[in-house]
Amino acid sequence: MSEIIHYSALRKTVHGQLLLDIDSLEIYEQACVALSGRNGAGKSTLMRIIAGLEAPDSVTVSFDGQTMPWRRACQRMRTHVIYLHQNPYLFDRSVTDNIAYGLRHRELSIKDISRKVAEALDWAGISHLQMRNARELSGGERQRVAFARARILKPRVLLLDEPTTNMDSEAREQTYRMIKRLKDDGVSILLATHEFHTVAHLCDVHLSLESGSLRPQSIDSAGGERKIIPYG
Amino acid sequence: MDSLSASTAESFRLLFSGDAALWVIIFTSFTVSVRAILIAAPLAFVVAFLMAHLRYRGRRTMIAGFSALQSIPAVVVGLTVYLVFSRSGPLGDLQLLFTHSSMIIGQILLSFPLLVALSHAAFQAADRRVWETSVTLGAKPYRAFMTLLHEIRFGLIAALLAGFGRIIAEVGCSMMVGGNILGYTRNIPTAIALETTRGEFAQAIALGMVLLVLALLLNGLLAFFQGRGEMSS
Repeated sequence: MSEIIHYSALRKTVHGQLLLDIDSLEIYEQACVALSGRNGAGKSTLMRIIAGLEAPDSVTVSFDGQTMPWRRACQRMRTHVIYLHQNPYLFDRSVTDNIAYGLRHRELSIKDISRKVAEALDWAGISHLQMRNARELSGGERQRVAFARARILKPRVLLLDEPTTNMDSEAREQTYRMIKRLKDDGVSILLATHEFHTVAHLCDVHLSLESGSLRPQSIDSAGGERKIIPYG
Repeated sequence: MDSLSASTAESFRLLFSGDAALWVIIFTSFTVSVRAILIAAPLAFVVAFLMAHLRYRGRRTMIAGFSALQSIPAVVVGLTVYLVFSRSGPLGDLQLLFTHSSMIIGQILLSFPLLVALSHAAFQAADRRVWETSVTLGAKPYRAFMTLLHEIRFGLIAALLAGFGRIIAEVGCSMMVGGNILGYTRNIPTAIALETTRGEFAQAIALGMVLLVLALLLNGLLAFFQGRGEMSS
């Protein structure tokens, strides 16, 4: 299993306090990594740094085997890494327009965009919602739109920040199924959670963020088939 | 009382008979103010966005400065533009005084702080996730900016309408830098001021009605663009 991104010596201070002090973090192809930690441990900050939305104090990044500065790595990874907020933001427009949003930055014909959007709607099971304004949807439906909007761009890495927060059990199950399908499609997933046991069945690796450092955790208790990944 | 009703009746006749002099005044008002707002708004939105988006030394002072400049008297702006473009002023050679251009410049200066302050409030209230979602979905900064404008469009439309309302009805600046020249730089507020001093109330009332209708129309448009007026969920 090959490594996509490797962060080393990642440091981040917030309000003068050292929040992240990570020696090494690797994201492998087609792996699902659970990132657990208590609230305020820095999970979201770490994800935002990987997504290029927040700058670290210092880091060395290697992307596809090439070492480069963080800023350049962000530019290189722009089309490969997608971050989904804890409560994904949907634009004040139709579901179709939301899903097509990222494709409009790529040189595709309207016909191709329409075809891909139809596929994505079908994949997420929201074809019946396509003309609805995305703002009018329920929490679970919004999450499905956000996943479809990300998947349509065929990312190599998907960063999911507490994707099931404030969801009822049915919406949670739907979200887990979508994560599983994304993983089966070959997307690498970094999944932040403060309740690892709820996502254990999806993950190949469990990293816990404690006092700013990442510590590998056992996932044996979760059972299921695992990929062998050289973490820790 | 008779004279007031006679003037009002005459004002309706002027408005609906298509009195050329009256409609030239109305046309001048609108062309000058619309051009001023169209020039001022894009720049004001960019400045407001940068003020809301970037962290730099002096940002708070800048925000306070634009807020304070909102209430600058129109005559002070008029005086400044007059001095700059008068024959002995630094830009006197351009010979822009008493033209539409000087009126537009004056109105841009008047509306700009208001546009910046109000649109900054809209940018400040915008959800940070709009920008971040756009960027993470591959949008370049320009496209992300356009998406952000769309998401906060109601606030920006309100800023535009407030800015337009400020300049369409101002007298001081237009009077000083436009010169109130009949058929050229005379606009609705300067014409009302002049006709009232001359005791010609019919035209003043007719023009006043145009401004009133405009005020109602602008507020109606604002209500329309604000959609259902509900908080977003």
